[in-house]
Amino acid sequence: MSFCRRFSAVLPGIAALALAGAAHAVEPAAPVLPTYTAAYQPQTKDERGIWMEADEDERVLRDSVLLMRDEGLNAYVRQVLCREVGEDRCRSVRLYIVEVPQFNASMAPNGTMRVWTGLLLRVQNEAELASVLGHEFAHFELRHSLAGIKARRDAASLAAWIGVLSAGAANIGTGGAGNGSTLQLAVLGNYFKFSREQETAADLLGLQYMAKSPYDPAAASQIWQSIMAEADARSVARGLKPGREYKAAFFGTHPPSPERAAYLKAEADKLGKRGELRAQEYREAIRPFLPRLLAAQIRSNDFGGSEYLLQTLSATEGWTGDLLFARGELFRQRGNPRDLVTAADLFRDAIAKGYANPEAHRELGLSLMRGGQEADGKAALREYLKLKPDANDGNVIKMLVGS
Amino acid sequence: MMKNAFAAVCAVSLLSAGAASANSLVAPGAHSGVAKSSIATTSTGEWNKLSRTDGPGVEVWTRDGDSLNKVSFFGGIGGGLPIYRERNKKEAPLPKVTANMLLPDIPVLLESTYRSQYQVNKFSLESQDIVTIEGKQAIRFTYSFVRSDDEVERKGEAIGSIVKGKLFMVTYEAPAIYFFDKDLQDFRKMAETLKF
Repeated sequence: MSFCRRFSAVLPGIAALALAGAAHAVEPAAPVLPTYTAAYQPQTKDERGIWMEADEDERVLRDSVLLMRDEGLNAYVRQVLCREVGEDRCRSVRLYIVEVPQFNASMAPNGTMRVWTGLLLRVQNEAELASVLGHEFAHFELRHSLAGIKARRDAASLAAWIGVLSAGAANIGTGGAGNGSTLQLAVLGNYFKFSREQETAADLLGLQYMAKSPYDPAAASQIWQSIMAEADARSVARGLKPGREYKAAFFGTHPPSPERAAYLKAEADKLGKRGELRAQEYREAIRPFLPRLLAAQIRSNDFGGSEYLLQTLSATEGWTGDLLFARGELFRQRGNPRDLVTAADLFRDAIAKGYANPEAHRELGLSLMRGGQEADGKAALREYLKLKPDANDGNVIKMLVGS
Repeated sequence: MMKNAFAAVCAVSLLSAGAASANSLVAPGAHSGVAKSSIATTSTGEWNKLSRTDGPGVEVWTRDGDSLNKVSFFGGIGGGLPIYRERNKKEAPLPKVTANMLLPDIPVLLESTYRSQYQVNKFSLESQDIVTIEGKQAIRFTYSFVRSDDEVERKGEAIGSIVKGKLFMVTYEAPAIYFFDKDLQDFRKMAETLKF
């Protein structure tokens, strides 16, 4: 169960669709938490199968080179999860932070939770992170993977039979093929509706965790507002129509984001609780990793989304050296003449604010040289070489400086 | 009649598909016009040239398959163009070459392209140096990266230059375990004879 819309990942499994989806639909969570069973073991053949697959995936994940293994960061994210769902539930989770710059988290039926670094970059406070982790835990607690596999299998056989029957009808000239396609489409639609209902159920149970946690339930809606704003910024920068990334879709596995933000807000309001956001604590915990997370984002060739993220991050604690440097990189990489001027200003601002990384002088120098200001550019590059005499690109920079 | 015509069309399609998918042998010796450009080099052993093109200005050579060892030639990619064919111009556009790029911008362009096109989430630029190719300055850089689809650690070595506003580059990439070292010396000999 994945937090964000993973349409491309779902398409290959398009044959696996369920007409029975509506029948299996999960009811919205009750206002109290379901009884939790510690050390739950799979009960049926299907469930043992998906656990076995999840165990194998986890063995591979444990050795992945993409894991961020910093103990402090892992302990911190786990602590947020434990505050959100409670210590007893938290003990059933093995949490892995994976270096992928997109916004996502997921949870496997055996208790493997994956948190992508793109999520850590995007949430503004502990409460937002907790809402996402709680949502994923809700999928786990509601055993959605098992319901999902049953729904896919039912749909796969039904869709296959419809295909066989409609092909037979076409062969004997009844014109039934069109009807078969319509029916298959209905099966597809029902399966995705089933998936969306699971997401809603997980959202609502997630809110119940938040109600019992120290966190503010309003954060669950806020994260969706931010994700939509980022998507709009990306679309606009690419000359595309805003809203295209989260509009309602027949094949959407997740509810449309505007709808999701709205019902999460309405449900959070009903709880009548104002909890903690813990924004400052979150910033402090992430700060050592921020340059790494920002570098991956800046090099993803997403000017609009990256600029939105930087503006949002700066809103909480102002333009720090890390943020100014990242923004300078963003403009330098786009590389229009005006961008190079902006980039140079941003690097100068970072240096003026005491940003100690010698790379700021390097990037300033390269921006100026590319913009035609050779003398100033060379001066900045000389400063870089002075600050970092053992730089691994020393010879390249010396060549540019002309020494 | 219609049936025969249909069969003929099918046969022609199959033949042309076969021809289109055929790779060709690159014999040891001198080669010019690589990647339909002014790139020339001399190879010391046999390679296979893939018929698949990853972009209009790209040519790929391999020995054991391009996921195991791969030499990519980028033959004069002009300003405003990406180095690879974009899979999704709208949703996942690639960064473009710019005529006023500096040599240190070349590895950044490669990294950003890989992150967008191949879901490379880990890329480390390990060394950079200056080499001279026919009197023109070029950057020689080494790097390592991991693609999300197979999570294999690969190493790379590349030489790139901007000549008359166009990007010329040759990269050698292979899994860090065994394969990278296996053909590295052959690549370096090729690199020594490189002409842009």
